[in-house]
Amino acid sequence: MITPTIDRQLPNGVADLFFKDAARRRAVERTLGETFARWGYTEIIPPMFEFYEALGAEAGPMLREEMYRFFDRDGRTLALRADFTIPTARIVGTKLYDRAMPLRFFYVGSVFRYEEPKAGTRREFTQAGIELIGAGTADADAEAIALAMSGLRAIGLSDFRFTLGNAAYLRATLSDLGVDDATNSAVHDAVRRKNTPELSRLLETSPIDSARQEAIKALPGLWGGREVLDRAARVAPNPSAQEAIDHLRAVVTRLEHFGMDKSVTLDLSDNRGMAYYTGILFEGFVEGLGFAVASGGRYDNLIAHFGHPIPAVGFAISVERVLTALRERGADRMSVAPDVIAACSEEFERIQQARRSGRVVEVDILDRTPAELREYARIRGAREIWSSDGQIEVLE
Amino acid sequence: MKALTIALAKGRLLEPSITLLESIGYALREAVDSRKLVIDDPARSVRFLLAKPMDVPIYVEYGAADVGIVGQDALRESGTEVYEPLLLGFGHCRLMVAGKPEFRDAEWRMITGLRVATQYPRVTRNYFSARGLSAEVIEVYGSVELAPSVGLADLIVDVVQTGRTLKENGLIELEQIFASQAAFIVNRASHTLKADLIRALIDGLQEAMERNGKK
Repeated sequence: MITPTIDRQLPNGVADLFFKDAARRRAVERTLGETFARWGYTEIIPPMFEFYEALGAEAGPMLREEMYRFFDRDGRTLALRADFTIPTARIVGTKLYDRAMPLRFFYVGSVFRYEEPKAGTRREFTQAGIELIGAGTADADAEAIALAMSGLRAIGLSDFRFTLGNAAYLRATLSDLGVDDATNSAVHDAVRRKNTPELSRLLETSPIDSARQEAIKALPGLWGGREVLDRAARVAPNPSAQEAIDHLRAVVTRLEHFGMDKSVTLDLSDNRGMAYYTGILFEGFVEGLGFAVASGGRYDNLIAHFGHPIPAVGFAISVERVLTALRERGADRMSVAPDVIAACSEEFERIQQARRSGRVVEVDILDRTPAELREYARIRGAREIWSSDGQIEVLE
Repeated sequence: MKALTIALAKGRLLEPSITLLESIGYALREAVDSRKLVIDDPARSVRFLLAKPMDVPIYVEYGAADVGIVGQDALRESGTEVYEPLLLGFGHCRLMVAGKPEFRDAEWRMITGLRVATQYPRVTRNYFSARGLSAEVIEVYGSVELAPSVGLADLIVDVVQTGRTLKENGLIELEQIFASQAAFIVNRASHTLKADLIRALIDGLQEAMERNGKK
């Protein structure tokens, strides 16, 4: 008799997957990988852990805080990968910087973050995504967004909507405000939460000039269809902000050519998460799930940190959240049942033949009686029993 | 199914929330009086959920409700990632540090091993640790103002409206953490997936508030 003890339980934020859950996750990973591959992306497999210096340097305080860190024997700090973008940037910046551009990489695998498990994510969770490296163009941005949409469509989530913003617009509007750090971070926070009243209150007492104030106050309301770009252009406080709007306009025009612009909501106050984004930012949402299933953006300064300045854009789809969304719409045809359960006396060549033709054949290795075999087949959900006397019994 | 689900906080915010929603054409008073927790208004394809104030931000963050009306006190305490585009101008209160009169003049900051009783453990921890004060936060579920007089805690952190309850328990206000009022909050996914419905609702609420303000 085994007594369960504390140290045999799982730590918070990890999960065991088997049977249908494991099959479901692999099916989503496979479909996404195949979709990315058809767009010309090849797989990249970075190590599970590397030096914290490399991973943490450009991660920004939030992600850095969430990294799992430990020491090797020399006392150097290592970290588990918390995303695929930083390792990919390291690989490109140190090894692939002089190859013909662009480089198109996709990845599928676990990342680790010490955060409270929430809505389908865990501390170990699965990301499937791409990095498109070596092009700073609107075409590259549009390809990344279109591919994220195609990925969701391929796994059966076609009712998505994407938000699209531009970190460059935010930066141009919110940089060098001439206020103290606390006010500065309060302003950023209020923008992120679209907290218009708080923003007005903060600006009222600030020394910021009125044109800039107008641009900042407009931010939380700059969401919706294409007309948002016109409104943003009118309040854009400087040439950089204007450029950022022009760039977004170019991206939307390309998405229009793809017939994908209808699924996009522009949102210029969107500034979630990663500190390394420099250009477009996007998030994908599907009906019935309160959290983004896909998120990505442009990070033109990240690879430079590893030696060579190369622009890049990418996104990750959260496989666990996708699985939650799929489960909630009950679209589940996943099966891990064998097609055939064969008695051990069955001729091996015949079994192999069936396997070669694509059927799943499981052999009884417990010498069950016909009645026991039938009961076992029922529990396993098998479709046929090949019994020892050569009979084929088809189950409903 | 493109309908909107609206979470409302039970308690002191419920009555003014209903009045505001009625002023933009939602008739839900009768249903509320019937003590149902889920109220459907099929004519306007809207569903209302009545939840504990502390739960409203969670419902909205997870998308169980698209939008909600909740006090900023509960919102800050929840630590949720939601949009908060509108303040609604009712449910005003203050989240205060309070204690016995001998702690006047910031005397409480001199105490080591400070104990603070509260229903707002997250806000309290952040507030004290941001000031380098190592307070032991004791989470209680009600009658917070009792804690100092029975020796459970030195201080309390709680919402104060008139200050009467404090006075009755021999406590005084020491420091304001923040002022709070009812806020309209929006789930990040719904903000995009149901953009038109949510924009219409925000505009409607804003107009109603301006109308009320002018009266």
